[in-house]
Amino acid sequence: MSQAALRRTPLHGFHVKRARMTEFAGFEMPLWYEGIIPEHMAVREAAGIFDVSHMGRFLVEGPGAEAFLNYVLTNDVSALEPMSSHYSLLCNERGGILDDIFVLRLAEERFLLVPNAATREKDLAWLLRHSKGHDVRIKDISDQSALVAVQGPRALEVLNALSSVDLSGVPRYGLVETEIASVPVLASRTGYTGEDGFELYIWDASPEKPERALSVWGAILRAGEPVGLKPCGLGARDTLRLEAGYPLYGSDMDEHTTPLEARLAFAVKMDKGPFIGREALEAQMAEGVKRLRVGLRLVERGVPRAGMPVLDPDGREIGRITSGTFSPLLRCGIAMAYVPPELAEPGTELLVGLRGRRARAVVVKFPFYDKTKYGWKRTTQAGGGP
Amino acid sequence: MRVGDYEVPEGLYYTREHEWAKVLEDGTVLTGITDYAQKKLHEIVNIELPEVGVEVSQMQPFASVDSVKATSEIYAPVSGEVVEANEALLNQPELLNQDPYGQGWIARIKPASPEKLQEELKALMTAEQYAKYIEELEGS
Repeated sequence: MSQAALRRTPLHGFHVKRARMTEFAGFEMPLWYEGIIPEHMAVREAAGIFDVSHMGRFLVEGPGAEAFLNYVLTNDVSALEPMSSHYSLLCNERGGILDDIFVLRLAEERFLLVPNAATREKDLAWLLRHSKGHDVRIKDISDQSALVAVQGPRALEVLNALSSVDLSGVPRYGLVETEIASVPVLASRTGYTGEDGFELYIWDASPEKPERALSVWGAILRAGEPVGLKPCGLGARDTLRLEAGYPLYGSDMDEHTTPLEARLAFAVKMDKGPFIGREALEAQMAEGVKRLRVGLRLVERGVPRAGMPVLDPDGREIGRITSGTFSPLLRCGIAMAYVPPELAEPGTELLVGLRGRRARAVVVKFPFYDKTKYGWKRTTQAGGGP
Repeated sequence: MRVGDYEVPEGLYYTREHEWAKVLEDGTVLTGITDYAQKKLHEIVNIELPEVGVEVSQMQPFASVDSVKATSEIYAPVSGEVVEANEALLNQPELLNQDPYGQGWIARIKPASPEKLQEELKALMTAEQYAKYIEELEGS
């Protein structure tokens, strides 16, 4: 593929000097700087900074914004207080997932939607098409802003040293306006790694005007490096989200997967009014699902990959891996797969058809790691021990 | 010799898929992946070795290595019977990164005949040719 055809983020100039680059969703993005394993471990044990500006950003505003979003998305935005956020799904009439989207309520009539990079155009067209009759304005501001994620048990401490506002009081999923290195940013206490941390929305930033994004990025790197913060690429982002049990749109779910099958029912609110896909999901709830997304941990050597068959102990194919990797934290193969509900119970022993041999695997709960030691709900101090 | 960041030892034969082959004194052929391959793969965390006794054909996949990110096929540089596989790599796949031409060797192949081997070696590159090849890959 011609490199010139790829889109760039405002931080591209930093990445090309320091990272192995890769193509992702039409963008030229960093895959890793030092290596996936050290970057992954930095986020679990200290902190990491990611450029996620390739994600989309849509502003949805107007008196009809709440009603409109409650009609097109599965979660209940009326339950969102201003300056808070939640995970939601965009479904079609059949209940198939068009995208997973983070919804940030900035004010009573002002929302920010964060869709995936690969689905941005498709989502925008869908939203515009379904906005007829609603008093809303939808604006794609992806190309005029940057998005940087700072993740890990020491992310708060690093950012607080630079922030004009104390961030320690911001709850999980909460939002706050602050300044980092004198640049105004919207900080949300969210992320895609399983760890505590923030995602920073930097306005008025583009590849032609990268100064504000570069200032924020550089200040965080300098402040964080003494505590072990590393710049992290999309390689670590993928292994971190997999360990945390977060599905990736396009791999672990698509238009042929419903939220119930993908185990995302927590983001579907049946007690709100009508929404696109509701009838299909109600019917599936009554009928029961035929397959469920599960976590698989290999109990022997091997690395599961998307597309590999999952077999029952008798060797019958019962499903497929949708994403898999080597877990840098657990030092073994882990994967997500869809299997029939009767084989989805944690502890169920299954087989994965690797190339040329079968490896034993066990169904596990998400996240893959010990929640008392890792992730934002951890109860033990990071970097502790002797 | 050295091309940029990559070591290309002389006396070995090379494939376009970045395997090397070294003809030993007893006529068997030691195989592995090149320094260029291990640097591109980065962080190798697993290998699937061929079974000893299996017959392989030149440029057919006979092993695979996993980096964190992806699985890559390893092609047999020459045909013959696999007479030895480097089982040390199962517990220490990082040897493929650390010492690709030494402790990171993958398998030893016994060709059907010296004549057949000589014929197949003609299809492989010398160190000089491989150096030029990766120079071109890096330049593009």
